[in-house]
Amino acid sequence: MMSDISKSPLYQIARPESIAIFGASNNFSSMGTSVLNAILTDGYEGRIFPVHPKEKRVLNIGAYSRAGDLPEVPDLAIIVLPTKIVAETLRACGEKGIRRAIIVTAGFSEVGGEGPARQEEIKAIARKYNIRFTGPNCIGVVNSQMKFNATFLSSTCRPGFIGMASQSGSFITQMFDYLEARFGQGFSTGFSLGNEADIDMADCIRYLGACPDTRAIALYIESIRRGREFIEAAREVSLTKPIVAFYVGGSETGKRACLSHTGALAGPDRLYDGVFKQSGIIRARSVEEMFDFCYALGSCPLPKGKRALIQTHSGGPGAAADACGRSGIELPALSSATLEKLRAYVPHTASVKNPVDLTFTKNPLDYFKAIPEILLEDEGADSLLVYFLATEAMVNRALESLGVPEAEIDAQVKTIIEDQCTSVAALMASHGKPMLGFSFLNRQNPFIAGLQDNGVPVLASPERAARALGALVECSRLREKLARSKRPASV
Amino acid sequence: MDPIKTAVDSGWTSLSEYSSKQVLGTWDIPVTREVLVQDSEEAVAAAEKIGYPLVLKPCSRDLMHKSELNCIELGLSGPEAVIQAFGRIREKINTPLEGILVQEMVAGNRELVAGLSRDPQFGVCVMLGFGGVMAEVVAEPVFRVAPFDENEAMDMIRDLKYRAMLDAFRGQAPADVEILCRILVSLGSLGLERPEIGEIDINPLIISPDGTVKAVDALIILEGVQR
Repeated sequence: MMSDISKSPLYQIARPESIAIFGASNNFSSMGTSVLNAILTDGYEGRIFPVHPKEKRVLNIGAYSRAGDLPEVPDLAIIVLPTKIVAETLRACGEKGIRRAIIVTAGFSEVGGEGPARQEEIKAIARKYNIRFTGPNCIGVVNSQMKFNATFLSSTCRPGFIGMASQSGSFITQMFDYLEARFGQGFSTGFSLGNEADIDMADCIRYLGACPDTRAIALYIESIRRGREFIEAAREVSLTKPIVAFYVGGSETGKRACLSHTGALAGPDRLYDGVFKQSGIIRARSVEEMFDFCYALGSCPLPKGKRALIQTHSGGPGAAADACGRSGIELPALSSATLEKLRAYVPHTASVKNPVDLTFTKNPLDYFKAIPEILLEDEGADSLLVYFLATEAMVNRALESLGVPEAEIDAQVKTIIEDQCTSVAALMASHGKPMLGFSFLNRQNPFIAGLQDNGVPVLASPERAARALGALVECSRLREKLARSKRPASV
Repeated sequence: MDPIKTAVDSGWTSLSEYSSKQVLGTWDIPVTREVLVQDSEEAVAAAEKIGYPLVLKPCSRDLMHKSELNCIELGLSGPEAVIQAFGRIREKINTPLEGILVQEMVAGNRELVAGLSRDPQFGVCVMLGFGGVMAEVVAEPVFRVAPFDENEAMDMIRDLKYRAMLDAFRGQAPADVEILCRILVSLGSLGLERPEIGEIDINPLIISPDGTVKAVDALIILEGVQR
């Protein structure tokens, strides 16, 4: 494990104190300008030095005509220039003493003709000046904790705990809105790697493994270039931090798409299955699943086994139970102690099995505290899945029926929802068992947003919650396997 | 004598079944008991030593698909049968042979394939799948990158789609998974230790009714050979 994150070549790339940007101008349509715009809009607090041959000011910031003119040696150079002048710019950065770069420009090994030779040229320059860089043909980096977003679109995401490395250029940027809308958070840190001429996936795994803001790591993989280093890095990191991969090079059509995309040769799908298993990596079958898994893994303690209880209202139990069956999750019967304790909360007519289908509870708020607490205490189960259907209107009506004055209802509804959500979150923390919610409601519903913001993962359907629970079970299984192994995968 | 070095020095592209199994045997991979013979007298002597029933096969590094030549003699139960089978093989094959292989006949209808290949990004990869006549359709191979240990090999076996076949099955004992793990780990170590090897193909790897696991046919192809 990397003991000191500052030793990573990605440290100054992910958290630079100062940056030089090459290719930003006052022409709003240029890519370089979009990158600088995103950096400014997201509120980066470090020093910014635009470099432009003609403009004196770029987006209202004082500009310098050459790297050599910069008043200090910035931590990082971001290069968004035409392909043919990237090499000379990188050399000028090296002469200035800059040791980290993001090369956004495309037109290297991913294209034919002179592309591969141009890539070799920039690699040689980087070696000469000790420059470590991401790209070429990538879309920068985002670090939501530092409000540093050097991709081409600004983001409104709140800081999150999912760290990401992607070989697909703009994928990270495309996910900003999705993550915020789905989970109410963005990436802790996200790297776009492009052609990986220097820094690659294995470096990112080590960096994100040591990154204190990152609780789960997502990998978008088109091809792994340094196989052994990848396995070794992942085996070390996955012992303490979950890694989820989405591999798109496996099928024949996927393979062709990747070859033209980042110039990488995609390996056979089944080999990658094995590589992921021995690296302790959980494989996701879709983009949504990759983030569902990371979200659940970053939110929950790992289960001790695969036995789950399901708490639901009428309507949903069948779907959840069926999805669990297909995800390898077992649904044990409730213990007699649990049945005894539940009696006080459910009507005598209710048949209490697993899934626990409550149809209605004597007090609707028991659903958020008393009942899940009883279920978490059941010693025959390792985890709990809970269906959430509560709405503001339900709380409103309950307060009205209790005779609460109309003027006080809104404030009380807010307080009640917040109390319920924090109490659910406290339950998971105090019982050390994973608890996953699922609902067809989204974050516009204050219960869903409240639960998520308090740390209870709520997923978009029973199937997705069951699949995520399956990933938690698989994560503990893989981790135990790695811990049992006598020696690391290194040679 | 190192059969791999001999093959490389002689410019051969592959090892015969006999030499391939000699290599595997020295790496702790269980192979059939067998003797390479040149005439029917030697064949009978070898047969008496190994015990009946027996199999006779032509052995040459140029015979990659023996079964297609239809010259494997199975289920030989006595010296007379061995002598006749020896003659039939000699008649059918007119290319030079290393000899004829007198081999114990391994019972068992549970067949696996195991192998080794080199991947440009990951290096030595070990494969395990289901064998037999339907292998191409239902092989469902699983892979690991070498080196890996017995824990990982066990996980590899767990990944087999039809792994229930390794359990007790129609009166047969469960497969000895410890041996199977050892075979997989050894294949990986062998590939790492001997970069001259490009590919190994153990097909079939038979699980006997008593659960033992044994390489019944094997082929080592040297690195740099286009198949």
